[in-house]
Amino acid sequence: MEVPMTECIECGADVSLHDDLEVGEIVDCSTCGAELEVVDTDPVELDSAPELEEDWGE
Amino acid sequence: MNFGILYSRIRKDEKLLLSELRDRGHDVTKIDVRNQQFGLSESPADFAGVDLVVDRCLATSRSVYATQFVDADDVPIVNHPDTAELCADKAKTSLALAENDVPTPETTVAFTTDAAMAAIEAFGYPCVLKPVVGSWGRLMAKIDSRTAAEAILEHKETLGHYEHKVFYVQEYVEKGGEDIRVLATDGDPVAAMVRSSDHWITNAAKGAETDAFGLDDEALDLVERASDAVGGGLLGVDLMGTGAGPEDGSGSNQMESGPRYTVHEVNHTVEFKALNEATDVDVPARVVDWLETKAEQQQGVNAR
Repeated sequence: MEVPMTECIECGADVSLHDDLEVGEIVDCSTCGAELEVVDTDPVELDSAPELEEDWGE
Repeated sequence: MNFGILYSRIRKDEKLLLSELRDRGHDVTKIDVRNQQFGLSESPADFAGVDLVVDRCLATSRSVYATQFVDADDVPIVNHPDTAELCADKAKTSLALAENDVPTPETTVAFTTDAAMAAIEAFGYPCVLKPVVGSWGRLMAKIDSRTAAEAILEHKETLGHYEHKVFYVQEYVEKGGEDIRVLATDGDPVAAMVRSSDHWITNAAKGAETDAFGLDDEALDLVERASDAVGGGLLGVDLMGTGAGPEDGSGSNQMESGPRYTVHEVNHTVEFKALNEATDVDVPARVVDWLETKAEQQQGVNAR
């Protein structure tokens, strides 16, 4: 099965995606290491993920 | 049923929950807390028609406020905002545990560096300094000497947000390089694991090794009481072994008898992916069992 791909908004490299992608999920660009947030799935749209903040966690 | 998932980031934990809920035929309303505006009289439109909201906010501040607004509009939400309020703040958690006679590490809160230094000296070295709000083991300091204490306190006072001037000083518990994470629903354990590390911080988020753990009667009792102390709900209760022998005196003569565990943390937006991997328990399935029960109970209340 063909792996879905999209383009990294930081470096332009191909980012491979899995097929049960969820809005709000984070994917990593294996080329530049950027953390990317899925903001839409149809079609897939990525944005820069927010930086870690101090009150994050469980 | 329609379950609302209040989130800002879909982690593996949320994906497991979403998948389990959908597989059972439930409707799921994903509500990104970052897009919401909470007024005083009613909840945002995204909450309409939701039978039960599950707070999975990644940011503690959002969790604390959003749950209060949602609850104020009588939209059922887990965990309850009172639980979030207690669990979000380590000082409040410690007080709640102590007030309910749940063994918890000795703790002192001070508001100036001088008073904090006196507390640290009273505990002796090593002792621990933690932020009152924080997680994943961040900004925790094991203090081994007075000079280290002076430096850490100065840094916290100079660099920190005002919350870092609430100095939360705690005894260092010699826990043998491990602690225990228990996921519980209203005090009923779902699964438990031991987290081991060469580092004194044994959070799974810090790379600790994890393995399934069988709870004994004392641990079961503590989990239930710790859960009750903060108002119940879906919680991650963290225990440390104290090295003490059984209170019935059946241990060896070298062991002091006393509580064999101490509860050092209760987490109200608990992550469970590591537990799901470390144990044979289908954690998301058990969590959704509990969510269904809560939603049914709520529907029963509303029908009266």
